[in-house]
Amino acid sequence: MNDKYLKISELNTYIKSLFDENPYLKKVYLRGEISNFKNHSRGHLYFTLKDDTSRISAVMFYSSAVNINFAPEDGMNVLVEGRISCYPAQGTYQIYVDKMEVDGLGNLYLEFEKLKSKLAKEGLFNPEYKKPIPKIPKRIGIITAPTGAAIRDILSTIKRRFPICETILFPALVQGESAAPDIVRQIKEADSGKYDLDVLIVGRGGGSIEDLWAFNEEIVARAIFEARVPIISAVGHEIDFTIADFVADMRAPTPTGAAEMAVPTITEINNLLNSYQIRLNEFTHNLIHKSKLRLTNITSSYILKNPLSLYELKEQKLDNLLDTLNNNITKRLENYTLILNNLTSSYVLKNPLNLFAVKKEQLSFTKKNLYSNINNIILKNTHNYEILVNTLKLVNPLNILDKGYSLVTKDNVVIKSTKDLHKEDIINIKLHEGRLKALVKEVES
Amino acid sequence: MEKSFEDALKELEAIVKELESGNVELDSAIEKYTEAMKLVKHCNDKLNTATEKVNKILTENKELVDFEVSE
Repeated sequence: MNDKYLKISELNTYIKSLFDENPYLKKVYLRGEISNFKNHSRGHLYFTLKDDTSRISAVMFYSSAVNINFAPEDGMNVLVEGRISCYPAQGTYQIYVDKMEVDGLGNLYLEFEKLKSKLAKEGLFNPEYKKPIPKIPKRIGIITAPTGAAIRDILSTIKRRFPICETILFPALVQGESAAPDIVRQIKEADSGKYDLDVLIVGRGGGSIEDLWAFNEEIVARAIFEARVPIISAVGHEIDFTIADFVADMRAPTPTGAAEMAVPTITEINNLLNSYQIRLNEFTHNLIHKSKLRLTNITSSYILKNPLSLYELKEQKLDNLLDTLNNNITKRLENYTLILNNLTSSYVLKNPLNLFAVKKEQLSFTKKNLYSNINNIILKNTHNYEILVNTLKLVNPLNILDKGYSLVTKDNVVIKSTKDLHKEDIINIKLHEGRLKALVKEVES
Repeated sequence: MEKSFEDALKELEAIVKELESGNVELDSAIEKYTEAMKLVKHCNDKLNTATEKVNKILTENKELVDFEVSE
């Protein structure tokens, strides 16, 4: 009876067909928290969706997963849309997710962050665009709901602090789908220039993030940024920051706070005026007192009281100057006289012949020198001459002849060898005394 | 055109500061003092004669009508 046992795959395939054929399971919407999130390398997402008591496996294939605009992670609350089917290989059923988005609050929060960073990048929050809030406004515009705590708080605060200020309420929806365009419409109306507003308060009382949402809309932010009237934002209670708060010229934590920023108290102004008056009076009093004192000092000064003393002073000064002048001239004259005297009494000028005597003496000295020099030169040369004559005598060849030698010449050339002579040559022979003319008979070598 | 309260107050503040800086000669100081006292009077008059303003609301027909918060 083997036939009654099914293969597991057969069972699972059958169960899968039950899921797939069920019309209710073809499109299922689920809200839950992500856990066991896995981002497979091929782009498919595997995770578990759970609530307080139950869980279901989920898979989101790459083709659907590319469309989600946030990074899913464990603990995130999400809304998913998909079909339920069975994975026969493991015998589990799971949801095949087609669409997934962040649930509720989380989703709004993401939008908030996105818009905030976008507008910040554009510079809408930059401090240089913040317009100053006038200290003492004559007329204030208010954009909020005509009923409720916000308008009541604003008006009662203004009345208490600065009742002479006019207010104009531009009623607007501050909650729901049409709130944002309504707020924008009233900002533009208030800023049209028809109402001569010094400042504009835009706000509402506190509430949930969804309640405040209009103040996080881009169109509201841009309308606030573009308005020429300075705007104080007053949205919710202190912890709620909205985009409108960032872009407004000033942010008040509450509507009451906005009214306090918008107007001074009348007592403050009175005190300020009084203090100015006191300072002015004190200052002017002091100034006059000081000026009087100066005047008294000046009029009581010695000079003004004794104008003649001015003259006396000058007289004395003139005397001093004259004295100095005289002294100077006398001193100079004395100097010159001294110099002149020195010159005229000099020895040379007094004894001009002395100059001549000196020159004469120099001349005779030079003469003497000249004589002695010439004598020396003559003596020296005479001596040299005698030495030379004696030397010459010693080397005279003719001196040898008186010792018996004779000198043979031919044609006035001295003959020193028989090679210079030939037979029959006529030669001259000089003896110590006399000379001979001889004929060569024979030449022997 | 009449000076706004805030402008008058600003002017007043400027004069007081200028005088207190000590760089003003007597003649012009007295002149400025007179001017400042006029401003003080101007501001005081405005404060004292100003009556409490009635709150207005802009209606759908763009008319300004008196407004009181309904409790």
